[in-house]
Amino acid sequence: MVDIFVVLLPGLILGIIFGIILQRGRFCMNSAFRDILVLKEFSLIKAVIIAILVSMLGFAIMAFAGIINLSPKPFAPVANIVGGFIFGLGMTLAAGCASGTTYRVGEGMMGSFVALLGYSIGAFVTKSGAWAEVKTFLQTYKISEEGTGANLTVFGSGLTPTLMLIIGIAGIAVVFFFWILPMLKKRKASDSKMFDFSNMGNKIFKKGWSWSITGLLIGILACFAYVSSAAAGRNYPLGITGGWANWLKYWTTGADSALTWEVFLVVGVVIGAFISSMIAGEFKLRVPKDGKRIVIQFIGGLAMGFGAVVAMGCNIGNTLSGIPLLSVGSIVTTVFIILGSWFLAYFLFMRK
Amino acid sequence: MVDINDTLDCRGEVCPYPDVKSKRKAKKMGSGEVLKIFIDYPLSAERIPETMKSMGHEILSIDKTGNSEWEIVVKIK
Repeated sequence: MVDIFVVLLPGLILGIIFGIILQRGRFCMNSAFRDILVLKEFSLIKAVIIAILVSMLGFAIMAFAGIINLSPKPFAPVANIVGGFIFGLGMTLAAGCASGTTYRVGEGMMGSFVALLGYSIGAFVTKSGAWAEVKTFLQTYKISEEGTGANLTVFGSGLTPTLMLIIGIAGIAVVFFFWILPMLKKRKASDSKMFDFSNMGNKIFKKGWSWSITGLLIGILACFAYVSSAAAGRNYPLGITGGWANWLKYWTTGADSALTWEVFLVVGVVIGAFISSMIAGEFKLRVPKDGKRIVIQFIGGLAMGFGAVVAMGCNIGNTLSGIPLLSVGSIVTTVFIILGSWFLAYFLFMRK
Repeated sequence: MVDINDTLDCRGEVCPYPDVKSKRKAKKMGSGEVLKIFIDYPLSAERIPETMKSMGHEILSIDKTGNSEWEIVVKIK
């Protein structure tokens, strides 16, 4: 039986909040990474960086307070490189990263729904199906910390929480001085109020959220998610891939044990995005204009599922949750997700 | 009302085609011409005006015409 108060409700509620933030903030790392190269647009990547820094600081404080046990992912170079790169290619074809694809299903985008089916199948098949051997083979070569055997972090497990705290504080200070302060000054110069609290309902539910608010809220949510997820027996912050793989496992095998906290989280994201897009008047059931697009998005989803399981995490598990923990594996995976996305984006969107 | 010289229908396009196509279209058009873009994708509805502004074009209007549907009118510099 699923524990309603430890697993189901917390997962679902955090998922709904996550979905609302993703939808209002248009938080998609596929767009964030790609736009650096294609559109020279940096607002989404700023949101990603702020979310990572806020999480890092939050996790460090919670680790010192003894509320959580830090759990960085392992470093398996071949798996991180191959999985990350294939995930990056896949998300470009699927037109959305793991979180982006998930929240767009809630907005009524059928192409993303098909991509999500491919993603779930790819993840489940690689985790415990026909492609599991490939995954096991790619993950064979692991590098752990010398002496302790702990999962490799940038500065070693002994120093990790202290350095998370330092990088978190320093990073937030840098972001504040170089991004937030100029933005506030610009607002002041353009004669609009620096903090305008009038018409809040309209701002929250009708307009897209700014990158700074989106990043901050996701970082804070990640801290709550870490505690809640650990209480449910999964000692890790936010994640998407395991949720959809187990979702499919539940429906195909009927095993109650597959209904994990992460499953309710991802289902919550779809519900949250649906609610907020309905309120904003942004919900619309729509299919891609070009029919072939659906097939491409499905294949992209499959590649994402495969890549995410091989690399032991998608852009949420590795980039959003893993970088704050200073896991070398997560950092390497993120670099290759970005390279995969740029590689394909160059051929698809930039060549004349 | 301004005269519309050309339109671009991006409804049903997935990320990032609306952005890429409107950017390419704007580059092809002549100075002073007006382009109307139809779009049904929230992220691009916010991002296209930003991209157009950074390219130096002028945004004449952004209208929300229905559930997840927008019309953006741009004057090419």
